[in-house]
Amino acid sequence: MRKNALAGWLLLAPALTLLGGLVLFPILYNAWLSLHDKHAFLTVHTFVGLRHYVYFAHDEEFWNSFYYGVVYAGSTMVLQLLLGIPAALLLNEAFRGRNLLRGVVLFPYVIPTIVAVMLWKWLLNDSYGLVNHLLVTTGIVRVPLAWLGRDYIMWSLVITSVWQFFPFVVVTYLARLQTIPPELYEAATVDGATAWRRFVHVTLPQTRNVLFVIVLLRSIWMFTKFDTVWLMAGEGGVSRYIRTLPVYAYARSFTYLQAGMGAALAVIMFVLLLVATAVYFRVFRQEEALA
Amino acid sequence: MNRPASSHPRPLSRRRFLTGTVAATTGAAVLSRAPAVLGQQVRELQVWHTEVEPQTVKTIQDTSIAEFERKFPGFKVKQQALGWGDLNTKLLASLAAGNPPDLTHLNPFVTASLHTKGLLRPMDDLIRALGESDIHEATLKLQFFDGKYYGVTHAMGATYFAERRDLREKAGLKAPETYDDMLKLAAALTEGGRYALQMPGEKLYMGFVHPAEWLASNGGSWVEAKTWRPQLNGRAMLETLEYLQKLNRFMPGGWSGQKYLDTLAALATGKIAMAHLSGARTIGYIERYAPDTMRDPEHFQPMFRPRGPAGQKGISALDGENWAVFTQSKYPNEAFEFLRLFYKKEHYLQYCHTVPIHLTPIFKSMIGDPEYLANPRIKKWRSWHDFMVTGLKGGRFLPIGFSRPEDNLLPFLAELDGSGIVADMIVEVMVGGKPPKAEADRAQKRAEELLAQLGFKRWA
Repeated sequence: MRKNALAGWLLLAPALTLLGGLVLFPILYNAWLSLHDKHAFLTVHTFVGLRHYVYFAHDEEFWNSFYYGVVYAGSTMVLQLLLGIPAALLLNEAFRGRNLLRGVVLFPYVIPTIVAVMLWKWLLNDSYGLVNHLLVTTGIVRVPLAWLGRDYIMWSLVITSVWQFFPFVVVTYLARLQTIPPELYEAATVDGATAWRRFVHVTLPQTRNVLFVIVLLRSIWMFTKFDTVWLMAGEGGVSRYIRTLPVYAYARSFTYLQAGMGAALAVIMFVLLLVATAVYFRVFRQEEALA
Repeated sequence: MNRPASSHPRPLSRRRFLTGTVAATTGAAVLSRAPAVLGQQVRELQVWHTEVEPQTVKTIQDTSIAEFERKFPGFKVKQQALGWGDLNTKLLASLAAGNPPDLTHLNPFVTASLHTKGLLRPMDDLIRALGESDIHEATLKLQFFDGKYYGVTHAMGATYFAERRDLREKAGLKAPETYDDMLKLAAALTEGGRYALQMPGEKLYMGFVHPAEWLASNGGSWVEAKTWRPQLNGRAMLETLEYLQKLNRFMPGGWSGQKYLDTLAALATGKIAMAHLSGARTIGYIERYAPDTMRDPEHFQPMFRPRGPAGQKGISALDGENWAVFTQSKYPNEAFEFLRLFYKKEHYLQYCHTVPIHLTPIFKSMIGDPEYLANPRIKKWRSWHDFMVTGLKGGRFLPIGFSRPEDNLLPFLAELDGSGIVADMIVEVMVGGKPPKAEADRAQKRAEELLAQLGFKRWA
C-alpha cells in the first residue's frame, strides 16, 4: 500500500514541481519581495515589513491608478458586451457571406497588439490621422481633436481596446447561441413573442451562464491589461492619464527602479482581483452553478 | 535448439525507445552548441550603442569591428543598436541578470547612478591613450568620479530650437534672448493655421531633458547642492512654469501626444515655425520633406534657448552618450581594445560622417579638421556646424538631463526621470492649465518622497 502511495507521489512529482516552480514560486517570491526595499538591478535588499503597503494606502498616484484601472476595465468591458452581443446575434442568423463575416470579425483579436495600437495611433493622430480628417471635412469639428493628448487619451485607449477585444465576446457568445434548441424560439413565436421578447425570455436566460464567464474573464483581463495601455502612451508625457495599476507597478519596478514597491503593487492587484472575483461568484451564485 | 531467425524486425521496446530518444536529444543539443562546448573557439564581444541609423551601424561593422576581428581572431563582435528607451530597459534587465554587455553606451545621467553602485570600470589608460588634452572640455569630465574616468563620450550633438529663419526675419524680430522675447516671437509667428512651435510629447524630453534646460537657463538646479533637497517648487521652476503656460497658447493642442520626430516633420512641412527640440538630425527631415526651394540654411536655422528672468544665458542639452565598461563585463580588456580602434582617426571620421554635425567629434583637433569639414552635408549646412562650435565655446550646452555641470555626481537622475514626476507637473500646468504653484508643490513632495525612499535624503 505504502509502495503504491510512493509510486503515486513519484508520478505526481513532475507536475507538482512544474506547478510549484511556475505558479507558486513566482507568487511567493513576489510576496517576499514586496516586504523588502530592493533596487531593480542590485542584489542587496532590506526587510521593511508592510511599509510599502502603508505607503500606497496614502499614495495619490496609487489611487489615481486604481481609478483609471476601474474606469478602463469597466468601460471597455461594458462596451465589448454592447458591441459583441449584437454582433454575435447577427452572425447567428442565416445570410449570404455569413461565414466570411465570421472570419473577418476575428481579425482585430488575432493581430498583434503592437500592430493594433500603432494602427489606431495613426488613425487618431491630430496632425495626419484619418479620423480627424473625416471629422474636420464633414464639419463635425472645426479643429482636429487631440485624441492622443491629455483630454482624450483615455477615450482613445478605450476605443482601441474595445475594437481589439470585442471579437472574444462575439465568438464565445456565438458558440453558446448555436446550442440553443430552435424549438424554444419556435414555441415562443407560436405564442406571439416579438423578436425583443424572444431575446429577453429565451436568449438571455439561455446564455446567462456564458455571460457570467465572459464578464468575469474580460474584467480580470482588462484590469490587468498592460501591453495595450503601455503602447498607447507608456513613454509619453500623457501616460499619467491612463496609468492603470499594472502600468504603475511596472513603472515602480523598472523606471523608478524600486522593485520592492513594484512587487507590493502586484500583490495588491492580486488581492483586489481575488476579492472582486469572490464577491462576483457570491452575488451570481446561480450562474456559477450553471457555468 | 536455435530459434529460427524471424523475418520480422524485432519490436522496439519502450525502454529502448526512451533511451534512444534521450540520447539523440542530448547529442543534438551538444552538437548544436559545439563551438561553445568543444574548446570555446568563438568568443563574443557584446557591444550595445544608441546610434540606430543603418549607415552608422554598417560603418561601425566595416571599420572598427572588422579591424578588431582581424586583430583578435578568436573574437566576434556583436553590435546592437538600440533606441534610448530600449537601451535603458535592456540594460536594466541584463544587469539584474548579472549578464550585461561588455561595452555599452550610457546616458551621462545614468552613469553616476551606476558608478555609485560599483558597476563601472575605470578607463584612465584609454583616456590617456586617446589624448586627454584633446578631448573637448564639454565632455571630458562628465564621467570623472573620485579622480578616475569611467566613461568617454562617443560623439557630440547639440540640441537647440530649429527655426524658420525666413518667417522670423519677415516678422522683423531678432532671435529671442529672454522668455519675454520668446513669447513675443511665438505670438508673431502663430498665424493662418500655423503654430509658432511644438514641443515633443515624450516624457523623457518634456519631463526631463527640457526641464533641466529650463532650470539651467533660469539660475536653478534639480536639487540643492549640499543637501540634495529637490528644488521643483523653487523660484527658477515656478517662473519657468508660468512662462510655459503662456507658451502653450502658441503650440498645437495635441502636442503632448506627439513625438519628437513628429515635431521635425511638422517643421519641415510648414505646420510650425519652430521645433523645440532639434539637432542636426533635423537636416535630414528638411531635405526630405520641405519644399524643394526651401531646403537650405537660409530658411532653416538653429536657434539658442532663451534665458529666464534669473538666468545668465539660455542652455540646452548636449546629446552625447558615453561608452562604459561594466565590472561584470566578460571581456573588459578586449572592450577597451575595441574602443581604441573605434577612435582611430580613419574609423572615427567615417563614423562621424554617417550623421554629420549630429555626430561631432569629441577631439578638438578634429572639429576644425579640413578632412572632417569636407563632408558634403557639412559644407552645405556649415552654419549649423558653426552654430554648434559657437555654443560649445560659449558654454551654452550641458549634458542631457543636467541642470548644472556638477549634476554628473547625482546618483538619482535616472530614477527622477523614470518616475515621471516632473512630466506630470509640466502636463498639468501646460495642457491642464493648473496653477503652477500648486502643481510644483505636489511635484516637490513626490520628489522628496522618492529621494527619501531611495536613501538619498540628506536634508533635515
